[in-house]
Amino acid sequence: MDLLEVVSAAVAEGKRAGAEEVEAFAVTGTALQIEVRHGQVETLEQAQETGLGVRVLKGKRFGFAFGTDFSPQGVKETVERAVAACQLAAPDPYNLLPAPSTAYTSPELYDARLAETPVEEKIALARFMEEAAFSFDPRVKIVETSTYQEELSEVALANSLGVSGSYRGTVCGLYLSLAAEADGQSETGYALKYSRFLRELDPRALGEEAARRAVGLLGARGVKTASVPVVFDPYVAVDFVSLLAPALTAEAVQRGRSLFAGKLGEEVATSKVTLLDDGRLPGGIRTAPFDGEGVPTQRTVLIERGVLKQYLYDTRTAAREGKASTGNAVRGSFRGQPTVGPTNFYLEPGGQSPEEIIRQVPEGFYLTEVLGMHTANPISGDFSVGAVGFWIKDGELAFPVRGVTVAGNIKSLLQRVDAVGSDLRFFGGRGAPTFRVSELKVSGH
Amino acid sequence: MALPWDEAWLREVLETALARGGDYADIYLEERRSTLIALEDRRVERVHVGVDRGAGVRVLKGDSTVYAYTNDLSRDGLLRIAEQVSRAAAQGREIGLSQLKKLDEEIPSLEDAPLEEKVKVVQKADEAAREVSPLIRQVMVSYGDVAQDLIIATSEGELVEEKRSRLRFTVNAVAAEGGVIQTGFEALGSTAGFSAAFKESPPEELARVAARRAAALVKAPPAPAGKMPVVLAGEAGGTMVHEACGHGLEADLVQKGLSVYKGKLGEQVAAEEITVIDDATLPGKYGSYRYDDEGVRARPVVLIEKGVLKEYLYDRRTAVKEGRNSNGHGRRESYQHKPIPRMANTYIAPGEWDPEDIIREVKEGFLVKKMGGGQVNTTNGDFVFEVAEGYLIQDGDVGPLVRGATITGNGPEVLRQVTMVGRDLGFTVGTCGKDGQGVPVSDAQPTIAVGELIVGGTRVGNVRIRRL
Repeated sequence: MDLLEVVSAAVAEGKRAGAEEVEAFAVTGTALQIEVRHGQVETLEQAQETGLGVRVLKGKRFGFAFGTDFSPQGVKETVERAVAACQLAAPDPYNLLPAPSTAYTSPELYDARLAETPVEEKIALARFMEEAAFSFDPRVKIVETSTYQEELSEVALANSLGVSGSYRGTVCGLYLSLAAEADGQSETGYALKYSRFLRELDPRALGEEAARRAVGLLGARGVKTASVPVVFDPYVAVDFVSLLAPALTAEAVQRGRSLFAGKLGEEVATSKVTLLDDGRLPGGIRTAPFDGEGVPTQRTVLIERGVLKQYLYDTRTAAREGKASTGNAVRGSFRGQPTVGPTNFYLEPGGQSPEEIIRQVPEGFYLTEVLGMHTANPISGDFSVGAVGFWIKDGELAFPVRGVTVAGNIKSLLQRVDAVGSDLRFFGGRGAPTFRVSELKVSGH
Repeated sequence: MALPWDEAWLREVLETALARGGDYADIYLEERRSTLIALEDRRVERVHVGVDRGAGVRVLKGDSTVYAYTNDLSRDGLLRIAEQVSRAAAQGREIGLSQLKKLDEEIPSLEDAPLEEKVKVVQKADEAAREVSPLIRQVMVSYGDVAQDLIIATSEGELVEEKRSRLRFTVNAVAAEGGVIQTGFEALGSTAGFSAAFKESPPEELARVAARRAAALVKAPPAPAGKMPVVLAGEAGGTMVHEACGHGLEADLVQKGLSVYKGKLGEQVAAEEITVIDDATLPGKYGSYRYDDEGVRARPVVLIEKGVLKEYLYDRRTAVKEGRNSNGHGRRESYQHKPIPRMANTYIAPGEWDPEDIIREVKEGFLVKKMGGGQVNTTNGDFVFEVAEGYLIQDGDVGPLVRGATITGNGPEVLRQVTMVGRDLGFTVGTCGKDGQGVPVSDAQPTIAVGELIVGGTRVGNVRIRRL
């Protein structure tokens, strides 16, 4: 089935149904998930998926509908639902669809090896990762799951102004979650990596990393309440960097719910902080020729050496300010209309190694895992999360810590970043290296 | 459009799935109609309607699950995934297929409201929130509903036809003053139908509560940091019980050795005052269902009785492993997911205490009036939950409001420390995430004193705490 035909049929159907403008987005793909545990394949899951999302514009009102049926009747029903929905939405003079562009790049997004590699070899990857963890340390006793995942998908987008494009992409990944035991205590560790290319998955490194994280935490205990320097390991650093993304969208700024509203050109962080969004990043999970509305993707510097430079825009938020979209209309799936959001969003690495960053701390906390990150508030910037890691004494990791919290506000955290590591690491579309803040509140007993 | 199916097809699909062996097979056909309405900046920004149709076929063989799903609901589409599953599950033992017996029961008819009515409740909430205080800068309101038609057929002969509907309504008010931004959030989740849900909780009322909280938090000082006695109000909701014990009682985690409650059946795992129940049959609650997603009839399950661990939460796979029956807790987000053991409506049963007396007894500490989200590490029992509204307790009275913080503790330790259990009971709703699947749940508890917990605020030294 030609996906571009499906979207152009939907666009034509929308015009017939009385829409002024129409946009159709379709996706089709296959997915595979393998969960291995203690050598056995515990779950093998295969999927074939299709989906269509249609957005119509009538009287400056947007309506949206989705469906999973690509038959002419199915497409017609989805389009009609979108037209009916738009009558109830409020009009907005800035509701627009983008015009066609010739600036689409052709990034490498597809790994042909994924389709060619037999399932048995993918099972072997998950088994190998688990074995690497078990042989790293005898105290690694239980694997919760050793998972291999992949998706091969094709996306097509068209609108009634002439936008038309499609691309194919692959994503594959490994995820390991395990527990180590000693003296009646159990501690957990995990590791993960997602990539567009099978060759970039290293099951041994991930197996050893998860094992190291769990074993290192054996004997963890609480600490007394204190304000100390805190070093964020990339797994945790990326959670905090992600918390900044919503506040950097033009939508949040225009709606008065951004910490960064009215701060363009101001110092919002220390000079160590440079934050980027790059929809063209080679190999990036969120890299694509165009965004969820058909606008070419681009590289956008948001914060440059501490100074706020730019927000993220889609077509509508850009029109409201007489600007151009930054190609940041994102779609979670075919089930929703595009919203403003990040693509590959990351903190630029600095020059120091993580070991050096820790070595400079006389007394502090090395944060390797957080609990309850979803409770951090991207609007107020307040966070208070369960914290797991190591106490630092005289530049060395003295003992493992759990059962405490770290709390503060992301705005003041940015003003206290005093070191950024060289070890940038991506977790899906978000990336961060190790970084350190000069002081943060740790609550304990 | 109704789901296309007939018994002959379903049987053919199950036969194909088991053609190369297996212990059990089932098929899950789903049509899911959903609505989403989102308002911000006084404008109805998004009106989404959608239809999702898909089917999943599963074969269990020993400890292995093979699962496949598709959006192609034609006979050929279903046979194709059945064949795929069968090939992957090859070399299982042969089992006979039982005759499919349709459970002869009345299928509930779903109440639906016109889209205009749904838009109206969203607008009413926006207006009510904005009237609360000039500090309110932004109001976001969302309404979402899902109506599901399900057909579940199993190789044991069960054939369940089910219809379900649920709705979720949220108000997020943003207040700002002098560079401080705070938010107030309220959510309604219900399976009682549109009119009953909003009759019980009018949209304006939820909106005012959210807006008042946001406006008050702007002026509130930060929460304290450190260990102190904590009282959880009944109206705070049940996030604590959900995290501190609920997840650790899910049989898959227990069987993998990843729960602190493993091997503790019949043992005292909590104070005698504590009885914990999960009841998917409670009428109208957000986590309620008649049949679970494996076609097993729901029933109340007593998990902990007077502090003694009685039972875990099972789906079919984990039940078979222990030679018992499922207790109706096999749930899945959609046809795109295999079922796993999950909570439904989890609560601590009410006790004898007057809630005010509990606060009086505690004298000095921290009162949680509203909980937000939480998370648990089931392996070591450490959990956190967010305090959306918290107060200091001073001289046995409710003192000043403080800005939110997370509270952290260890599940088994906290449940053993409970000293007083109130006679009230308050529910909250949420979407519970596990293994990448989100399912609707509710949880509840009476007012309880939980001993000392770590409050993760940012202030030290300005709270009077008497060591008990």
